[in-house]
Amino acid sequence: MLNEEGLHARPSATLVKEASKFDSDFYIDMRGYRVNGKSILGVMTLAAEHGAEVELIVDGSDENEAMKTLVKLFESRFEMAQ
Amino acid sequence: MPFQDHKPIPRKEKITVQTMIDQMRDQVKIDIRPLTAEKQCQDNYIIETDLHRPGLALAGYIDLFTWQRIQIIGNTECSYLKQLNEEQQQKAFQNIVEFDVPVIILTDNNSLPGPLLKIAEKSNVPVCSTDLPTTSFMFHLRDYLEDQFALQTMVHGAMVDVYGIGILIAGKSGIGKSEVALDLLKRGHRLIADDVVMLSKKSNVLMSSATEMNKHFMEIRGLGIIDIMSMFGIRSIRYQKRLEVVLNLKLWEESKTIERTGLDHDSVRILGIDIPLIHLPITPGKNITVIAEVIAMNYLLEHYGYDAAKAFQNKVKKHIEEKSRGGEMPRRAIEYFEGDVE
Repeated sequence: MLNEEGLHARPSATLVKEASKFDSDFYIDMRGYRVNGKSILGVMTLAAEHGAEVELIVDGSDENEAMKTLVKLFESRFEMAQ
Repeated sequence: MPFQDHKPIPRKEKITVQTMIDQMRDQVKIDIRPLTAEKQCQDNYIIETDLHRPGLALAGYIDLFTWQRIQIIGNTECSYLKQLNEEQQQKAFQNIVEFDVPVIILTDNNSLPGPLLKIAEKSNVPVCSTDLPTTSFMFHLRDYLEDQFALQTMVHGAMVDVYGIGILIAGKSGIGKSEVALDLLKRGHRLIADDVVMLSKKSNVLMSSATEMNKHFMEIRGLGIIDIMSMFGIRSIRYQKRLEVVLNLKLWEESKTIERTGLDHDSVRILGIDIPLIHLPITPGKNITVIAEVIAMNYLLEHYGYDAAKAFQNKVKKHIEEKSRGGEMPRRAIEYFEGDVE
């Protein structure tokens, strides 16, 4: 988790919105807790902090494309102004 | 199949003896009074659900002694100690406290002779006592520990109590789980959790609850996050409910082989427990909320011994038998119409 404020409401919303564009199922795993990455409440339940390690699991017909987009989103700190 | 790879979340590894004492008092309403080495309760950890009665260890046999468990000293152990002389007592007791026992609990209001308590204090082994009889105390304590160390998992769906039946509405993102749950709330049913449902295995039952984070929020697409408790009030929420039925919402095209009679029951296995599973295709004009209510009522009827599908099946069988003995085709359900005039 690169962005300083962690995965709060706005980055979560950006993430869920992007993930929902794909057909593939998307899960986020953090310390063994796995949530549905297309659910905003699910993502925010993790309350991932700055520096936290999360695993992205994408499964479906467009998984490669989805993974690329989602990883880019994490790397770009959810395209938020810091 | 919903939740095909729901792994259990990491299990709690340990709790302090103090936490156990506090929660037994506050939640289970059982008083455990520390007699000695009270401070040590903060530092000693319980790591196992099982309890142990150290009769054999007192008698000197300490091979395979499960010292890491909570040690329960009841009437038998106490009367054994009583018939020993003072020196023998101390020697017997030393067998136990030379291990890092988390805590020794005396049941049935038993007590230990002063010198033994001093030995326990010196060895930093807390000794507590309770009024409850041994068997009853062990039952409650085990139940508490089983809950603390329970297997848990998180699933995606909306958990609602409908007429007292715990229904988990599952299905793909965006299919309308939250909307169905919202509709059910409006009709007076109660929400346990939306989107993230925590399931804990307790004996052969799955108990559901929300997480600390999402209780009792809900996301409605296009609107955002709403707070169910402040919007619909306290009667619209529940903290826990047993999971009894999983309702899997599907689009029509992916559900061509759908159950029609209700004679065959599908199920889904969660944490090793089979939960009845109903696949429900979503089609225009279908009121899922009402169907959820019907599912709950049908479950209740089955629970009370009436299975509509079986009853109908028996009727059909009986009719086929009668026909083979020269019966007629189905007649109307009434022998004679009196007329319906005003």
